[in-house]
Amino acid sequence: MVRYVPLVLALLAAIFLVAPMAIIVPMSFSKAISFEFPPPGYWTGYYAQYFSSHSWLEATANSFIIASGSMALTLIAALPAAFGFVRHRFYGKSVLNLVMLVPIIVPAVVSALGYYSFLSPLHLVGTHAGMILAHSVLSIPVAFLVITAVLKGFDRNLERAAMSAGAGPLRTFLWVTMPVLRPGILIGALFAFLHSFNEAVVAIFIAGRDASTLPKKMFESIRLESDPVIAVVSTLLTGAVLLGVLLSLFVRKRPASR
Amino acid sequence: MPAFRGAGLISRDSLTAWLLVAPAVVCVVVLFIVPIGYVLLLSVTDPTVSLDHYRRFFTVPLYANVMVNTFRTSLIVTLACLALGYPLAYVMARRDDALAVSFWTGFVVRTYAWLIILGNKGPVAATYAFAGWGSPPQLLFTSFSSTLGMTHVLLPYMVLALYGVMRKIDPSYMRAAESLGARPFGAFRLVFLPLSLAGVVNGCVLVFTMCLGFYVTPILLGTPKDMMISQLISQQIEDLLAWGFASAIAVVLLACTLVLLGIYNRFAGLDRLWG
Repeated sequence: MVRYVPLVLALLAAIFLVAPMAIIVPMSFSKAISFEFPPPGYWTGYYAQYFSSHSWLEATANSFIIASGSMALTLIAALPAAFGFVRHRFYGKSVLNLVMLVPIIVPAVVSALGYYSFLSPLHLVGTHAGMILAHSVLSIPVAFLVITAVLKGFDRNLERAAMSAGAGPLRTFLWVTMPVLRPGILIGALFAFLHSFNEAVVAIFIAGRDASTLPKKMFESIRLESDPVIAVVSTLLTGAVLLGVLLSLFVRKRPASR
Repeated sequence: MPAFRGAGLISRDSLTAWLLVAPAVVCVVVLFIVPIGYVLLLSVTDPTVSLDHYRRFFTVPLYANVMVNTFRTSLIVTLACLALGYPLAYVMARRDDALAVSFWTGFVVRTYAWLIILGNKGPVAATYAFAGWGSPPQLLFTSFSSTLGMTHVLLPYMVLALYGVMRKIDPSYMRAAESLGARPFGAFRLVFLPLSLAGVVNGCVLVFTMCLGFYVTPILLGTPKDMMISQLISQQIEDLLAWGFASAIAVVLLACTLVLLGIYNRFAGLDRLWG
């Protein structure tokens, strides 16, 4: 009997974690104007409303643009940094290692306030560029940690073998190092993308109207008008995240070589 | 950059390292640490140069209440997450399969779900009506709903921290304890629990510090009567446009977070917090 106690407790916790999110799906097909559950009737009208609403579609496009941009920028910064930290000894390493982690230490409200007062004199508040810069810096530590972890487990004998077989440093990097690290880098990239895609607080402060992302628009809709389209967006987002998680599991499950 | 002082001291290797690390470090310093410096500056200069905001924050009883409420709520959320997350991570660590399903669903979406559940036309209210208990108590926009929502949103972080440590505990230790006569619970208490404590500490520090400055959920689900720090900041900016005072509160919040993480860093090393 005692053996089943952890299983039962875990099951209860899992239900607590998942069940509240499941309620969103029937809500998105509900006919109710406000938050009403169980729904008085079902239709797909709010899906139609989402796909014909200029402001929701624009927020969706903004979310994708900003998440893609900050994913790219995050990788450009985090990938070389991971190599620098794992493979080299240099002056100030331990301090800089802490510096790299600062963006995930600072509470999001504090960062958001900082970004607002820093970006507004530069006329970057309410722009895609401002959002991409802000989100990249927030994602750099996460991507850095993920890639560093993979790089630490990398067997450098593979590179030595390639070099001794006559490959130059660049060739070795492109044909040996990168393919082995690819799953880790992809996971880092996915984390950066999803982080930006879900991030609400900084967006609320600095996205303005023109660069408004989905989390910001949802937050404001919930607060002001309780637009039933929120349920539709939530369902679509949860579906997309589920897809992303499955994708990352697929990447992770694949053997490291090949 | 002290590394460049005295050409004899720097090797080519450390120069390469600096070049590799530079883009990220410059990004973080210029685009993050400098903006945080702005907040610090704003808190003592807006509207005039003085420490008045801090004096006000630490002397007015209302703000002391906000601090107490923030720490109390964070503590409750952390303990609730631990109670729910420990068995979940325990079971997952032994099955070695997928997790992180709800980890990446945004805070806003998950908070929205609780708005429906606890709302006055939601399933809880419907159950009350169905059972004939009359109208349910006010659930939404209370510190209860805010605490519940934050527990739900932060639980995955707790599970992930615990899972990271538990996964590395060799199951043969437990079998060894049982073969030597320990009962299942005894084997758990004497062998598994002590080994998993590092994960408990990580998870609690992570959830507690995240909870201190949590923005979305307390604002959407909570009440202005029992404010948390983030609600106070939001109120000062949106209703009163008091950027200076809001910045001072943000600095206090940052200081609390840094002190907690500083203590953690002293004993465990900050790198380990995220597994």
